[in-house]
Amino acid sequence: MNDSQLNRYSRHILLPEIDLSGQERLLASRILIIGIGGLGSPVAMYLAAAGVGNITLCDHDRVDLGNLQRQIVHSTADIGRKKVTSAYDTLSALNPDVTVNTIDHKLDEDQLVTTAAEVDIVVDASDNFSTRFLLNKVCVETQTPLVSGAAIRFQGQVLTIDPRGNNPCYRCLYSENGAELESCAQHGVLAPLVGIIASIQATETIKMLLGIGRTLTGRLLQVDATNMSFRTVTLRSDPECPICAGRANERAPNPSPAAHA
Amino acid sequence: MVTLRFTPNLQRHVEAPAAQVKAATVYQALEMYFEQNPQVRGYVLDDQGVVRKHVAIFLNQELIHDRVDLSDPIGEDDDIFVAQALSGG
Repeated sequence: MNDSQLNRYSRHILLPEIDLSGQERLLASRILIIGIGGLGSPVAMYLAAAGVGNITLCDHDRVDLGNLQRQIVHSTADIGRKKVTSAYDTLSALNPDVTVNTIDHKLDEDQLVTTAAEVDIVVDASDNFSTRFLLNKVCVETQTPLVSGAAIRFQGQVLTIDPRGNNPCYRCLYSENGAELESCAQHGVLAPLVGIIASIQATETIKMLLGIGRTLTGRLLQVDATNMSFRTVTLRSDPECPICAGRANERAPNPSPAAHA
Repeated sequence: MVTLRFTPNLQRHVEAPAAQVKAATVYQALEMYFEQNPQVRGYVLDDQGVVRKHVAIFLNQELIHDRVDLSDPIGEDDDIFVAQALSGG
């Protein structure tokens, strides 16, 4: 780490839980973020600022005026540009240490498997159930941890799925459902709520990369911004889950993030 | 008495006030609640009486074991919370 990096990351390095070795580990880590909208924007910005060294952004959409109330990685001048291109510029300006990769189209299941297998953690910042269930399936298959967040109106949810152990997955919580329930475009979302949820996702990601503390693995955090209440409930693995039942010990786990440091 | 509460997201669609009922299982508690609040039933159960796929039920802040028959036993002062999946991002 050079002098500039020591200065840039000094507030991390001061933390005994991170220190120099942890920051070097972050710089060597690889993250995939699916969706560069309300959640993906702050997640990407925090992880880039924190020095997560290799970030892949995946979104097929373009920036729209109606996005800018909450999707803070994009600016007015970016309207009409691809979201991943807009975000690439913002993140590169924020922290040139970070290698930012962009995928500007939807990935099918095989492509997702390949992409997820190349990263340490996947962050689900998508806006639809079909992507959420597919990401869960892919991450269980590739044994890649998944940090899942969602927000609409004044409510949000976060859970972390770690398929490397006998932990519940998204499918253990909710049965597969082809129908989309609601979207922010239809029903609205409070701008800073997505920042709250995304910040928790970024925190979970960094903690998991560094092995700090207790994550939301096996738990669901529910946030109600109306009353500013945070409620955590305990999940359980479904022994008949069609996605994860019996999978935990099938494959060798991914190399630990430390292996990339 | 078991207390039933519902996610604020559900309240957007239908009035689902918290309530207390006396029951021995999650199923009984929900049925008793629906007798008092029939407008909520369709948001939690489908027309076959099965828990909707995007709904999760927690007993004392833990996901229930039996999602099919809702047979998890409940005791005095227990707490049932009905949550709903969110997809917005």
